[in-house]
Amino acid sequence: MDKKGSKSIYTNKDELRLFMGKYGIGVILFVMLIALIITVPSFRTTSNFINILKQVSINGMIAYGMCVVIATGGIDLAVGAQCALVACLLGQFIMKMGMNVLLSCALAVLFCAALGFVNGFLVAKFNMFPFVVTLSTQLIIRGLAQVISSAQAISMTNAQFKLVYLGMVGPIPFPVVMLFVVTILMYMILHWMKLGRYILATGGNEKAAIASGVSVFWTKIAAYVISGFLSGVAGVILTSKTSSAQSNLAVGYETDAVAACVIGGTSFAGGVATTPGVLIGILIIGFIYNGMNLIGVNSYYQTIVKGIMIIAAVLLDLVMNRKNR
Amino acid sequence: MKKLLAILLAGVMVFGLMACSAPKEETPADEADTGTETTADTTETSSERVGDVNGDGKFIVGYISKNTTDTFHGPINARAIEVLDGLKADGTIDDWTGILDGQTDPGVQINLADDCVTKGCDAVIILPAEAEGSAPAVATLAENGIAVVVVNSKTNNTDELAVAYSGSDDVYAGTLLAQHVVDNVPDGGKYVHIQGVLGNSAQIQRGEGIEQIMKDHPEFEKVEEMTGNWNSSEAQNIAQDALSKYGKDLVAIICDNDDMSSGAQDVVNAAGRSDIVCVGVDGNNYPLSLVKDGKMLATVLQDGVGQIEAGIGVVKAIATGESYEKNIDVPFVLVTKDNVDQYYTGE
Repeated sequence: MDKKGSKSIYTNKDELRLFMGKYGIGVILFVMLIALIITVPSFRTTSNFINILKQVSINGMIAYGMCVVIATGGIDLAVGAQCALVACLLGQFIMKMGMNVLLSCALAVLFCAALGFVNGFLVAKFNMFPFVVTLSTQLIIRGLAQVISSAQAISMTNAQFKLVYLGMVGPIPFPVVMLFVVTILMYMILHWMKLGRYILATGGNEKAAIASGVSVFWTKIAAYVISGFLSGVAGVILTSKTSSAQSNLAVGYETDAVAACVIGGTSFAGGVATTPGVLIGILIIGFIYNGMNLIGVNSYYQTIVKGIMIIAAVLLDLVMNRKNR
Repeated sequence: MKKLLAILLAGVMVFGLMACSAPKEETPADEADTGTETTADTTETSSERVGDVNGDGKFIVGYISKNTTDTFHGPINARAIEVLDGLKADGTIDDWTGILDGQTDPGVQINLADDCVTKGCDAVIILPAEAEGSAPAVATLAENGIAVVVVNSKTNNTDELAVAYSGSDDVYAGTLLAQHVVDNVPDGGKYVHIQGVLGNSAQIQRGEGIEQIMKDHPEFEKVEEMTGNWNSSEAQNIAQDALSKYGKDLVAIICDNDDMSSGAQDVVNAAGRSDIVCVGVDGNNYPLSLVKDGKMLATVLQDGVGQIEAGIGVVKAIATGESYEKNIDVPFVLVTKDNVDQYYTGE
């Protein structure tokens, strides 16, 4: 059965196995895409594809940061709270103090990166569990956002700031351009730069990494700083999108980010993460929401399908990579 | 190899399953369409559909819920499914999106608004998650010529952009709360006000209503005003603290919703102080059961089901070309032991 099946398509079944191990999740994305294109007329419009990319841009930013952290063997649960904090900071900077928009965004994002540093420091220096550290800082950051905003919503009426979400570069919305830029940057960091190799080495085998001269301390901190920075950027886009600065934004956004990472083949054990994989994970989640909304699938089932997809992706990854090793 | 195929198949099937539900759902609608065209000339032919804004000859309704988890929103969504499915079955509308889950998240609601535009909706019902944050969702829909019907609470651009609003006057609810306390505590005294999530329009307006009544009653003194975030357990803590702080001077606890007032009532009853009047807004099941059992004097019912019925009524009017009211006020009702059986359905 095996031989027949594989021979009819591929001459070498190891080749297929390797191919699937590497690109299996991409195949799933492709199948989804084809299925949606065939069955849902409104799905296959250019405007809808741009729309999906715009919708996933916020989760995309957060997921890239998350994947770097997960690759070091950690997790960052504070990302949602960081988005909310950025929103509240922007509310104060732009609307209350009338500061320059670009400067305000830069300051808010840098502040988030600094919070990422704190997360990384606590994890790396004291060897605390990342789950516990970021769970606690999540509360602290969310509380800070409430303090800054007095838990009131500020309307972001600044026209220039609204362009962050609504602005276009040619036919492409600005958030999509940002996602594209971040994707390229992440690809460079993770696959071309030394830092990327250090991150994967730290998560893959910490002792071996130390033995080969990697500064695990700074590598971990760098990972959390990247995550903080990117969730800051996501926060700026989200604030512009809702044109509202309030402390209860982005509740639970870490879940979708982790889901995108896992679907994209990021290993929770650390040491394995690829930028294309995460991008595919992000897109799959976007397709699930958008596609099912267009089909008219009851929202209760959407959640179930997302859960099944994650388990299927992890299983696929597990089976493929066990055989490859 | 077998495993590989099995898993791949599973993945494809999961997706196939959702993809396959599409034609299944659409066929009956199409049949209904052709059915009405041949049997009755009274309904519009599909090419010149009344209320069709995007020229696809169909009238499609979007429904963006606030969430699918709240005790208050559950019955609203259930009623919407019932009524909209009915309108689809009798051909008044061609299709609707099903309950789109807003997850109490303005960002999600904006995404859903985009999806509604893509799906070719001609009218969309939205129950905003936030007055500020959900406004861009209403704006997106309106920009695309879609008739937006806002239900339950307003976004800050509802008055200019929506074709209709169906909700209840929260200021009036606040006056009902305060009046109830004034009526039941003739001598006055100290009271505590437990607020909803700060910045929420319901919180602001209900507080306004309470003040309107209380400013004419100097015998009452507001000793504390804190947020319980619409949350029963937070309200219980506040009630507990107030009880130990003000003791027998405390006469009433006014809450912005009745999840909180029933929590507060539980606390004061447990402390043997059932003389303290606790009251809030919504008419959720548990508070109603307290009223029925005589453990709480009253609660103010917000008729969410009535709001959504009125909202869908507007959509129906658009689909049939009838006129409709732009601002529909669904009244609040003070529920006491006398009329609780009308509203409390049991478990």
